[in-house]
Amino acid sequence: LVPGADPSARQLCFAWGPAEVLVCETLFGRAGAGTAARALTGSVAGAGEGAPNSSRVFVVRKDQDIYIQTLRKLFNESHGIFMGLQRSEEELAGKSRKAQLVQVSKNYRSVIRACMEDMHQAAVSTRDPALQGQYSTQVSILSAMELIWNLCEILFVEAAAAGPLLLRLLDWVRLHVCDVDSMVREVLSSESPSKHKLFWNVVDVFVLQGRMDEARHLLSKEATANPTSMNMYKILDDLMKKMPVPSLGNTQTLTELELKWQHWHEECQRYLQDGTFASNPHMESICKILLGDEDAILEKKELMTTWYHFLVTRLLYSHPTVKPLELRFYAQSSMDLFLGGESSPEPLDMILMAAFEFEMHQVIKECSIVLSNWWFVAHLTDLLDHCKLLQSHNLYFGSNMREFLLLEYASGLFSHHSLWQLGVDYFDHCPEYGRVYLELHIERIPLSTEQKALKVLRICEQRQMHEQVRSICKIMAMKALRNNRLGSALSWSIRAKDAAFATLISDRFLKDYCERGCFSDLDLIDNLGPSMLLSDRLTFLGKYREFHRLYGEKRFPEAARLLLTLMTAHIAPCSFWMTLLTDALPLLEQKEVIFSAEQTYELMRCLEDLTAGNPDKQKFQDDDVETTKVEMLRLALARNLARVIVKEGTVEGS
Amino acid sequence: QVSVINTVDTSHEDMIHDAQMDYYGTRLATCSSDRSVKIFDVRNGGQILIADLRGHEGPVWQVAWAHPMYGNILASCSYDRKVIIWKEENGTWEKTYEYTGHDSSVNSVCWAPHDYGLILACGSSDGAISLLSYTGDGQWEVKKISNAHTIGCNAVSWAPAVVPGSLIEQPSGQKPNYIKRFASGGCDNLVKIWKEEDGQWKEEQKLEAHSDWVRDVAWAPSIGLPTSTIASCSQDGRVFIWTCDDASGTSWSPKLLHKFNDVVWHVSWSITANILAVSGGDNKVTLWKESVDGLWACISDVNKGQGGVSAVTEGQQNEQ
Repeated sequence: LVPGADPSARQLCFAWGPAEVLVCETLFGRAGAGTAARALTGSVAGAGEGAPNSSRVFVVRKDQDIYIQTLRKLFNESHGIFMGLQRSEEELAGKSRKAQLVQVSKNYRSVIRACMEDMHQAAVSTRDPALQGQYSTQVSILSAMELIWNLCEILFVEAAAAGPLLLRLLDWVRLHVCDVDSMVREVLSSESPSKHKLFWNVVDVFVLQGRMDEARHLLSKEATANPTSMNMYKILDDLMKKMPVPSLGNTQTLTELELKWQHWHEECQRYLQDGTFASNPHMESICKILLGDEDAILEKKELMTTWYHFLVTRLLYSHPTVKPLELRFYAQSSMDLFLGGESSPEPLDMILMAAFEFEMHQVIKECSIVLSNWWFVAHLTDLLDHCKLLQSHNLYFGSNMREFLLLEYASGLFSHHSLWQLGVDYFDHCPEYGRVYLELHIERIPLSTEQKALKVLRICEQRQMHEQVRSICKIMAMKALRNNRLGSALSWSIRAKDAAFATLISDRFLKDYCERGCFSDLDLIDNLGPSMLLSDRLTFLGKYREFHRLYGEKRFPEAARLLLTLMTAHIAPCSFWMTLLTDALPLLEQKEVIFSAEQTYELMRCLEDLTAGNPDKQKFQDDDVETTKVEMLRLALARNLARVIVKEGTVEGS
Repeated sequence: QVSVINTVDTSHEDMIHDAQMDYYGTRLATCSSDRSVKIFDVRNGGQILIADLRGHEGPVWQVAWAHPMYGNILASCSYDRKVIIWKEENGTWEKTYEYTGHDSSVNSVCWAPHDYGLILACGSSDGAISLLSYTGDGQWEVKKISNAHTIGCNAVSWAPAVVPGSLIEQPSGQKPNYIKRFASGGCDNLVKIWKEEDGQWKEEQKLEAHSDWVRDVAWAPSIGLPTSTIASCSQDGRVFIWTCDDASGTSWSPKLLHKFNDVVWHVSWSITANILAVSGGDNKVTLWKESVDGLWACISDVNKGQGGVSAVTEGQQNEQ
């Protein structure tokens, strides 16, 4: 499976990624004490066989279908139908509920058909043979899915009863056995159809599919072209017209139908035995078919192409009032007769057979194995569950089959860059494990843009997934910090309520300020509001900026008071005191005296605390700039003190 | 059904021992006997070499990505007895810490759940397990469990973070009291479970079932159930699934997954813990799932050079 991997004595090493498995060739041989010898011989052997081959890592993944562009519509639209179904009125009982569910089923099928159409268009319009092959395969897969779904709809969702059951099955066959369509078209569009060599084939097709009117119409053409057979034609036509079929309305009971049918059957029998059609083998074979003669029907194998077509035809002409539970017997024998031991049943055949046998679980199981992704089984099972048809079939983690399949399907969606959003909704509707699966998966979505992160966050917040919210905010904060976007980092860490990180970033801001003399992201800092209290450093940052603002607005006394509080209330870190004191200088040098005596004493005390208690006293003294600063401060403080004492000592008005 | 979606040619000059995707599946780290650790960007099926990290002096055995909230951090361990922690700073990858506290090959590294902080467990052939905790400002605190396994420790794996009594509302902003646990496997054929109590690491449980060296242990992610699950594999060819049903974490019972014909080197859980991948003899990677009645069944094998994947029906045990 893994191409190019050397099948010699190499082993596979692997690891799980969020959605995929990594596989790489290696040779295990850890050198534990005592196995060094083993390890070395192992790797030497490996080296001897052409070690250069071992440098590749394969990324392997299940379920690649989500990447097929044309299937995107399928996933999106079926998501809409799914959601509609989950929210639909449970209170509707009986018939109306059933009608509703059948409509849902039909909607799913029409989505499949639409997708088939698109896929077909794509196949036709592409020139790349490989792609074409791919598309064609997809078309046949989708077609098979629709075939199965349709049958399930008839048997399980609608649960058609004897009578209508046959009609539905006829519709089903007519819709899905299309191999003969081109032949039919060819004959019908020719100038004189009755002369066409395939004329009788087409008539047979119509008869086999129970399309009496169309068969009679064609036969009339033959009759006008061949007046000699007019008599035979009239009788056959009459028989075909009179054939009793189940009706959809309640106009007749089954018993009535059976009686009528019995009479009609006997009439056909008489005509056949009288040799009425002896001279025209085609018409005779049609009569035999009408009588449900298995051999006659089987002769037309090529026109039916499948055993289930054969089954329905058989039922039409021998047991039109077949009951649902009787289907299994006819189905099995039909398949056996049709395949006749020449070929063995394919997976599709087994799935359909399981459906005819009303083994729903079997159908789902077989489909899960055969199909390459969980889409089909997940949605079908969900629908069947809503029809209350699945008993709670407990799997090991105690959740039922519906949930199991939905979890698998939704998990698969998460590796896609945009389809993951659909996955969220599916998880929401898995009552047991949906939430925890969502938690595990949503953390793994790459947060490539801020928008995406916000989207993910909103989803988490809506569902009160606080851990995930915090985690995501922290990741975004770290990312922003790495890219030097301090403002963004700060707002993310506030949102994450991450005090430690906020402190870190505030420090960075302050450092920046010291180096450049100005703040970045002023808007953010100015509007911190109560979130300022998240961390002490952040509070300081906010207040410090406020100080600058006050200063800018020339509200000096307030600024002065704030500045002092920053130090005395220990909001400011010691490392910053020097800067603050330096900031105080211009205030001290103002013409107006701003700091009161008491405030000045406080400032002086702060300065002394700073210089005295400083363990780097030596460094302090050695640094000329620092010493000068300290000197200047002392001078300014002293001068201010002098002025303020005088001012405060002066009595007003004297 | 599995299909290969990308092949990364790492250009390692020697055997690759480990390859790990980062949290989001966007980057791939590989390490090799050629002593280097390489990091690739593998988005959209591409493979761009981002970094070629040199620093080890011997084969590098394992790499492990830390949680993205701590930045882009990768740990690697090697035969040269060193554990190196690499960090991406300003777009370049650099060594940010080197730990040399072991006396022989360090075989396994594993990052703890992000809720505990940035903590790395390292298992070594000298029988000890070290726990490196980041305390800030480029500083790491080391705690060592000596003689964790006689002869050597081959694997370490952390338990998922579960807050005890998590049904009770924690006052916001308060750090919940986590009980930290991890599992280790060693050359004494044992799997041990370690628990942190009052800042000290103590051996909580000894799980005996293997008859030869335990090569790998993997603690399954939590899906909200009160049970804990550990997978262990060994040179005796057996893979055991250990489950513990109660919150007290004292009674572990093993279940044999399978007896392979050859050494089983590696076990690993998918992120929702529903599939266990086993790398073992016969050059196969097999995927296992537990079915209704508690039996484990192989759901597929990734087989080298042997045609398609055979999807063995796991449902055979499903039907009653």
